[in-house]
Amino acid sequence: MFQSFRMSMTWLHTWFGLVIGYVLMVCFFFGALSVFDREIDRWAIPETRFEPQVLPSFDKMLLPIFEKMEPLEEELDAARDRVGGPLPESKPVMGYSAYTTHRDPVLMMFSEYAITNNPDDPRDHVHGYITIDPRSGAQLSDEQLKIGSEFFYPLHYSLHLHWANLGYWIVGFAALVMLAALVSGVVMHRKIFREFFTFRPNKQAQRSALDLHNLTGVVALPFHFFFALTGLIVFASIYLPVGETMFEDVALKQAQEEAAATGLAFDPAGVPAPLASVDAMVVEAKRRWAARDMTGEVGFLAVNHIGDANSYVSIYRAGTDRVTLTGQGIHFKGSTGEIIREDPPPSAVEGVTDFMTGLHLQHFKHWMLRWLYVLGGLAGCVCIATGFIFFVEKRKRAHAKSGSSGARWADAVAVSTVTGIVIAAAGMLVGNRLLPTDLPDRGFWEESVFWLSWLAAFVHAAIRSAPVQQARISPAWREQCWAIAVLAVGAVVLNWITTGDHLLKTLGEAYWPVAGFDLALLAAAALAVFAARRLRLREIGAIEQRETSSGGAEAAHA
Amino acid sequence: MRDPALLAVAAICCILSFSWLALAMDVHWQQVRETSIQTIGVKRMLRVLAVVALGVSLSLCLKVDHGSMASLVWVMLLALAALIVTFTLSWRPRVLAPLVAWIPNVPRAGVGASS
Amino acid sequence: MSASAPSLSPLHIALRIIGAVGGGWLFVWGFTTLGIALGIATGMPYDEARTLLYLLAFVVFLVAFCWSFVTASIARVWLVLAGGGAVMTGGAWLLLRSIA
Repeated sequence: MFQSFRMSMTWLHTWFGLVIGYVLMVCFFFGALSVFDREIDRWAIPETRFEPQVLPSFDKMLLPIFEKMEPLEEELDAARDRVGGPLPESKPVMGYSAYTTHRDPVLMMFSEYAITNNPDDPRDHVHGYITIDPRSGAQLSDEQLKIGSEFFYPLHYSLHLHWANLGYWIVGFAALVMLAALVSGVVMHRKIFREFFTFRPNKQAQRSALDLHNLTGVVALPFHFFFALTGLIVFASIYLPVGETMFEDVALKQAQEEAAATGLAFDPAGVPAPLASVDAMVVEAKRRWAARDMTGEVGFLAVNHIGDANSYVSIYRAGTDRVTLTGQGIHFKGSTGEIIREDPPPSAVEGVTDFMTGLHLQHFKHWMLRWLYVLGGLAGCVCIATGFIFFVEKRKRAHAKSGSSGARWADAVAVSTVTGIVIAAAGMLVGNRLLPTDLPDRGFWEESVFWLSWLAAFVHAAIRSAPVQQARISPAWREQCWAIAVLAVGAVVLNWITTGDHLLKTLGEAYWPVAGFDLALLAAAALAVFAARRLRLREIGAIEQRETSSGGAEAAHA
Repeated sequence: MRDPALLAVAAICCILSFSWLALAMDVHWQQVRETSIQTIGVKRMLRVLAVVALGVSLSLCLKVDHGSMASLVWVMLLALAALIVTFTLSWRPRVLAPLVAWIPNVPRAGVGASS
Repeated sequence: MSASAPSLSPLHIALRIIGAVGGGWLFVWGFTTLGIALGIATGMPYDEARTLLYLLAFVVFLVAFCWSFVTASIARVWLVLAGGGAVMTGGAWLLLRSIA
């Protein structure tokens, strides 16, 4: 593109980094929060603050609940659109499944119902979905949004833009740009080893920001690279939908052949048959795992072809002691409970993929590694944020002279994607504690608080960023830091007032989901106050003056 | 209780290792020991110590977890340790002085005479 | 760094970016489908071939994407990425037809 390789790479890094960095910020920040999505759920839904539970009795508790489940209204609406008319009165149930993890006190239950009058798709179906308290079997209200696992977590990979999977495509492109930014960043960085441990907080903003950009980019380079890459691999079938297009026939044929070979029926037989005791199958599955020295609880249980002679039950182990994402599935004949098959060990290729996706989806039980992942995610945020600051600092003097407002707008959008998303998240938590518990469609209002807080942060940043045009620092950074501090402390206090679970109590009981999240909020508040005070010093030029007077000023970086 | 303790030691070994690696560089050595210079021999010894500490931390991680998990823990501990060492050098470099306290002062030309 | 970069016409930049992103995707699509078809032709199960190609696809995309900003000629970017992608997709389709 340009004469020199390095110059082309710099152009790529600068411009894609700036534009896509705004998206990457969302991915990294909410990805970091997603490491503790289940714990955030506990914080946001106080009636679920109890210890994680193992799968309850299927025969006694789950089956009667499954039988009462209904398809979700929104799925029925979508099915009516697909069919182009009313749906048949009877929607035969196809399958039940239940999912839990070693961090979930609640149990998620899914059901599947056939839509029999779609001429285009004989396999068309809709789903039912509820969450229960497995101690009593009581259903949790649908109005309760699981802020961690149903809002922050999908936000980091879909941006909640579901039309034509647009959000997935934007995030996928952002992941590709992240990889390219890492490659080009390594090319640009002349002193990776010489400046490996270098951060000079009291230099000019441009120098300090570049130090921090290099530091957080380099030390967490393997994390950044593998999370961007494995994120793409997780959703590969969306980005490269070969199985639904060129290879549709091959895929269907293979699935049918596999079903014939493994005895796990692809289609129902059409002959009614009762369901044997699933609890007995669970006992047998656990015994077989233990025999392989992989003791564990059930993570996922699925009953396919309900009420049919071809019915089979698949039981998967909850991943806890391995990175790799295989459940060592064991499959039973539904009508008799006899074993049909045990999943064979994965092939080499599957093993690598299971490891790569497991690394990203982290179903394992390792609290230290979870926190280290948060550190990696936040290092990514710092890397992107300092990239924005470097971009603005480098250009704002020239733009001030030429009257261009480019640096100003880059800065305003940077403020709203750096401090703005933290305000939106903290604002949502405050909203979660303040909205009435019996408010209809409460989850919708919580989401509205999130989007409106973010919008407010953007408007504030846009209005207050005028000083950038005079080559000064936008006060919006400092003001939004104060807003973060107030909201984060406010969330902790409101949690105490509305639930009685103050830190002394949760720490005393060692109830880490809430205690840990409260502590994280307080840490965020402390960091925000520190940042706000440093920003104040920067605004009045105190830090640069200190540096100049000590005679240590260094020539501006090339 | 044994596993968290071993992982804590693994983390400390990573921090020690990166501290010694940093101290083997002139600019960071001077941040910590303003008045002395470093000989080639000292640099080499610090690097050897750093590699040994890294090896110890990796073997501790492998002792606690399955190999696949241990490798992730170790790589992420390296990132944590590098950040801790860098921020220590930025704000409180003298904290690292005890790690090289046993290395005798070799006065820098022109500085040693007056001090 | 980029301060000294010569300015490029918006058309050049647009063609370069579309070539890198769209052409890159087409190239990866061709690479993936041809790879899977070759895998099936050599006796690999479809699932296994697809899983393997998904592991490689994004690394190939990364290389293609970076290359398209480094290489001198835009025509070459389009020829190699879009053209190569189309040829490989066609090859995959022919191969698939001959197996089935």
